[in-house]
Amino acid sequence: MKPNIHVKDKVAIVGAGLTLFRRRMLETSRELAWEAAREALESANLELKDIDCIVIGSAPDAFDGVHLKGEYLADGSGAISKPMVRVYVGGGTGVMVPIAAWWHVASGLCRTVLAVAEEKMSPAHPHPQGVFAYIWDPVVERPLGPNLLWIFALEMRRYMHVCGASKEDIAIVSVKNKANALNHPCAQAAAKITVEDVLNSEVLVWPVHRLDVSPVSDGAAALILAREDIARKVTDTPIWVEGIGWTLDTTHWYNRELAYPRYVEYAARMAYKMAGIERPWKEIDIAEPYDPFDYKELHHIEGLMLAPRCQAWRLAREGYFDRTGELPTSPSGGLLGVGNPIAAAGVMKVAEIFWQLRYEAGERQVKKPVHYGVAQAWGDLMQVGTVVVLSN
Amino acid sequence: MSMWRKKCTTPEYPGKMETEKYVYTPGLHGLEFFKTLKEKDAIVATKCGETLYIPPTTLCPDFSKGEVVEVPLTNPWYIASYTIVYEDMDGNKLDKPQILALLVPEEDIVGGIIHYVKAEPEEIDVGLMVKAKLKPREKREGKITDIEYFELVA
Repeated sequence: MKPNIHVKDKVAIVGAGLTLFRRRMLETSRELAWEAAREALESANLELKDIDCIVIGSAPDAFDGVHLKGEYLADGSGAISKPMVRVYVGGGTGVMVPIAAWWHVASGLCRTVLAVAEEKMSPAHPHPQGVFAYIWDPVVERPLGPNLLWIFALEMRRYMHVCGASKEDIAIVSVKNKANALNHPCAQAAAKITVEDVLNSEVLVWPVHRLDVSPVSDGAAALILAREDIARKVTDTPIWVEGIGWTLDTTHWYNRELAYPRYVEYAARMAYKMAGIERPWKEIDIAEPYDPFDYKELHHIEGLMLAPRCQAWRLAREGYFDRTGELPTSPSGGLLGVGNPIAAAGVMKVAEIFWQLRYEAGERQVKKPVHYGVAQAWGDLMQVGTVVVLSN
Repeated sequence: MSMWRKKCTTPEYPGKMETEKYVYTPGLHGLEFFKTLKEKDAIVATKCGETLYIPPTTLCPDFSKGEVVEVPLTNPWYIASYTIVYEDMDGNKLDKPQILALLVPEEDIVGGIIHYVKAEPEEIDVGLMVKAKLKPREKREGKITDIEYFELVA
């Protein structure tokens, strides 16, 4: 880590836990949080009494249909009688959770943090899209009846136009990620499909087809972050948080170039600078870019500066981002394959980099040696980027 | 203000959430709680160490998994606290005041449930014993309203 900021304590991730990702889990939100948190504690050989502080991440209360969701999740997240904070930046929340946990430890405030993300999207009926409808500007956008898929379709079409990518080029990402997820024990939407399957799936909002999109999911994920001395005591393989970054753009999403996520680049630059990474396309070995839609992975690969602008789709065609490729992306299976319980999906991505850097990913382990990995999430009204750089 | 209102029409941007309703799942212990209530004259508690917790919450305060233990509804419970409701949500006076109470099965159980108590306001007091009045078994749905109310033990 380069000392471009004052960091009191070095921070490592020492444990991770994940529930199944499914459309409708019997467990309540707090039970899901508890299952993930317990698994994370067990994996770190720690108990709740060893944890100083709690960070909770969850998207709008309206998904679970429980107000004060952070407080509701508190006992399932081990937060009773401990300092707790909930963070929320839409879809970017999942990676904001370890960022917030990092600053709790790096500042010297807490020795250990249990970081938990949970989302239960299935209670909202008839469809959680009804919740998304209320992210729009009530005066200039909502009267038109916008749907979340619309703006993705507009952004995807713009990316295709500016970068010369075809539907087929983009569908490759969905095929890759769903196949990667076949090896993930928590996966909801793993499948062996072809580009033709994606193109022949139901058109939702052209150019977005059903198989271009991640599913609606319930699930939770958790991480344990610890100060260096504790990390070295509890494990021989701590995974260091080398850099963090986050940036917000305006909610006037149509006032910027939709083909390129500038805010992701700014967040990535912040994280890379802290990590001392000057050429991410060379120095990053593995990545988990946020992929709620297939084109978003390409978009974010470029925003993370892992490929030149408008080149990610060409590299994807060559297998560059495959698990056996030069720079594997979403080896977990991503949101397209594992599922998308919003905040939990981002933590799942960080957990995947953690397992990959420890060589504990089993059948999902990438073929190349790995030293540096990056996880990223994105969200709100197409405006936030959250980035974490990890190393072994 | 009234003059201004006459001259200008302020446009309105109404909102109506497209989410019509929420359909929650009961959770792991919640499922046991309501299954037991539907099928037996009992509910369940979570046993953590030697302590019983109601309502059951799956997880114990120390983060371990609790054990499901039945607590009969046939025994008298006691009133730990109560309130008397005289008006509905819209401020309309109720025909008959409604008593809501925090009811605890035994002194050494942590927690309890909130339910109606069928009694006259002047009869009610903290510490009085009550008994659950359950719906006939064939009419039970696995909901907290399978207990119609609690009534004072003579």
